[in-house]
Amino acid sequence: MSVEEQIREIVAKIVHVDKSLITREGTFKDIKADSLDIVQAMVAVEDTFDIEIPDEEAQKFQNFGDFVDFVERCLAAKERA
Amino acid sequence: MSQPLQGRLALVTGSGRGIGNAIALKLASQGADIIVNFFRRRDAAEKTARDIEAMGVKAQVIKANVGDPAKIDEIFDTIGNDWGHLDILINNAASGVGRSVMDLDVKAWDWTMDINAKAVLLCSQRASKLMEGRGGKIVSISSLGSSFVLPTYAIVGVSKAALEALTRYLAIELAPKGICVNAVAGSAVETEALKFYIKEGLIKDTRQATPAGRMVTPEDVANTVAFLCSEEAFMIRGQTIIVDGGTSVAPFATPE
Repeated sequence: MSVEEQIREIVAKIVHVDKSLITREGTFKDIKADSLDIVQAMVAVEDTFDIEIPDEEAQKFQNFGDFVDFVERCLAAKERA
Repeated sequence: MSQPLQGRLALVTGSGRGIGNAIALKLASQGADIIVNFFRRRDAAEKTARDIEAMGVKAQVIKANVGDPAKIDEIFDTIGNDWGHLDILINNAASGVGRSVMDLDVKAWDWTMDINAKAVLLCSQRASKLMEGRGGKIVSISSLGSSFVLPTYAIVGVSKAALEALTRYLAIELAPKGICVNAVAGSAVETEALKFYIKEGLIKDTRQATPAGRMVTPEDVANTVAFLCSEEAFMIRGQTIIVDGGTSVAPFATPE
């Protein structure tokens, strides 16, 4: 399963929405996620991929695609290290 | 002259910022080595660690969400492996969801109770084992919301009431092991979190209404925590010490 699909599953499970509603262009607001959902999603993704998503980075995410791209960059950096 | 906490090791949960940061720096200034725990802001935790090391004591940064029991185990396994003991536990990490009682759901309840109450139990259980044979101090950070109703503070207030009750039970059960357990409750403490509450209009700017003439600072709370970690406080057990500049005993006070 791709990184994007894994993240989509994590977010869908936490926010209790069908994963088909989570698109790259969509936002947490679009799927009615509250601030607690967002924190829990970040934590779950961090644990799953063993990475860190600093709050200051998370605040820059405009949509789900930005979130996925950041995680993929972290994983690539981890592989290089 | 040796410092009062020289050679002691303290774990301060949630010590990257705010009250936890002030407590970590205060204990370090008295000679303690510090485990700096953080959850979301590594940069802040690393800054705390650098400030601690600048005082000539050791610091170790450990990332962990104390709301997750598996992560608590990781913290204490690390301390056990790296240090082999612990002298002081400060249960400071806190979180919460700002909602009225009727808007609370299971997720908000579990999230807040896991971090603010369950973690106090689990950290204290693990810490007490690392304090075996050497005594120790456990201080947990509460707030006036445990006894007073504050807007949208319901679940945090409930979790802090649990923390205070747990403090009493732990104090008695751990007394035979030479472990002193207490709590410190601040009123509105001047932190980033408080600025948010004032900005949102959820609480009033209490500067003028505090009998002591100013707001409570993180350092005020840290000073009381440091006292409870000293031998002078040996006979204080199971108490919640209120640090509020007199606000709670003068609810009808008006500024002159």
